[in-house]
Amino acid sequence: MIRKTLIAVAALSAFLALSRMSDAQAAAAEANYKFYCAQCHGLEGKGDGPNATKSQPVSPRNHTNTVEMSKLSDQDIINVIKGGGAATSKSTMMPPFGKTLTDAEVAALKDYLRKLCKCKGN
Amino acid sequence: MRVSVFSSIAVFSIFAAGVLAFAAIAFAGVSEGKGIFDSKNCGGCHQIQGPAKEKTIEDMLTKKAPELWYAGSKFRKEFLEKWLKDPKPIRPMEFYSLTKKNGANHAKLDAKAAKDVSDYLMSLKSSDVKAANIQPKSGPQGRVVFEKKQGCYGCHEVKKGAGVVGGLTGPTLVGAGDRLNPDWIYAYLTNPKVFKPVKDMPVYTGALSDSELKNLAEFVAGLK
Ligand code: HEC
Ligand code: HEC
Ligand code: HEC
Repeated sequence: MIRKTLIAVAALSAFLALSRMSDAQAAAAEANYKFYCAQCHGLEGKGDGPNATKSQPVSPRNHTNTVEMSKLSDQDIINVIKGGGAATSKSTMMPPFGKTLTDAEVAALKDYLRKLCKCKGN
Repeated sequence: MRVSVFSSIAVFSIFAAGVLAFAAIAFAGVSEGKGIFDSKNCGGCHQIQGPAKEKTIEDMLTKKAPELWYAGSKFRKEFLEKWLKDPKPIRPMEFYSLTKKNGANHAKLDAKAAKDVSDYLMSLKSSDVKAANIQPKSGPQGRVVFEKKQGCYGCHEVKKGAGVVGGLTGPTLVGAGDRLNPDWIYAYLTNPKVFKPVKDMPVYTGALSDSELKNLAEFVAGLK
């Protein structure tokens, strides 16, 4: 009985540790988004950051646009963050962050974008 | 014979005295400049001792101003002296703000102080800026990387025709050729972590080839 309780406690704390880690990851993704992406995509992801000036040839994607963002698979999103617009045959005005962010940070940003668009990839 | 040895010693001593006097004058500018820098508390906002210490985004966001510990490698002396007398916004936005425009309210120095402080700032060198003999060029090689292969003007203003186009979060590159040392631009693009371990400009080392980075440095160094 005691043994079972101990195992349950251990499992529970392992679970808590894991979920806390993903909380930390989500917080880090938000901080990364606000630092690197918001300058173009806006603090709320609406495509209206300070770099989205009238003189730019294309507008940054509105990350809250469910329809547009649903067209991208998870892998598309990861590729475009790492390789820039060229990776999904879009404009190179979307810069590459593959040498700036780690793969784990890029994956966490992908999850963050999925929350912003309230959508899944096809 | 004797006379000529004597006269060459004399010539040499005059020459040596001249060098010493010159060095003393230059050094006076540096130490007076440091005095002014300290008394005006410029260091309250600017980091003047390397190396870069920031590790996280938080570290970067708590900074009040760009680092000056490698100012002597980054800037052209004439630009510094002129700018300190009459500072015009370099970054369109307030330092690392996404919402506030640059208030154009930087501390101003009189002509003598501007000269001394620029002498002092020019003495702050980084050994990571090597002589790479980057020459300003405005040809298509750099332009194609700047405008097409990458969208550098996404975050930087540049001149186009009679107007200015581009994004606002990076320092303006209008007049970059007058402001920046070409070899520093190349060092910044190829070895950015030494100067800015955390910054909102992406790292292009590895994403672009070394010759593309060289073309870019030449192009930026040629921007009017
Ligand atoms: C310099 C401005 C800029 C920055 C910084 C930037 N983006 Fe973009 N992004 C763009 C532009 C412009 C587009 C639209 C490209 C197009 O439609 O051709 C875009 C498009 C995208 C797309 C849609 C791609 C597609 O195939 O439709 C995603 C996803 C994206 N960005 C994510 C990010 C993330 C995540 C970051 C931060 C790590 C970021 N962007 C930083 C400008 C930027
Ligand atoms: C209140 C904080 C503050 C103080 C005090 C201050 N500066 Fe600055 N300084 C800034 C900011 C912010 C910028 C960026 C301005 C811009 O981009 O237009 C800047 C930019 C500079 C630059 C250009 C740096 C670059 O990388 O573009 C130099 C040089 C400089 N300051 C020198 C000085 C000197 C010399 C003093 C003292 C007389 C001084 N500053 C005092 C905040 C400060
Ligand atoms: C996502 C926005 C963004 C993009 C895209 C971008 N930069 Fe930057 N760049 C910045 C920011 C922000 C800084 C200032 C960083 C700092 O000092 O903290 C900067 C700094 C610079 C500087 C130093 C200027 C100075 O006075 O300190 C140069 C040179 C430069 N960038 C060139 C380029 C080139 C070339 C490209 C294209 C390959 C490029 N940038 C793309 C945002 C960007």
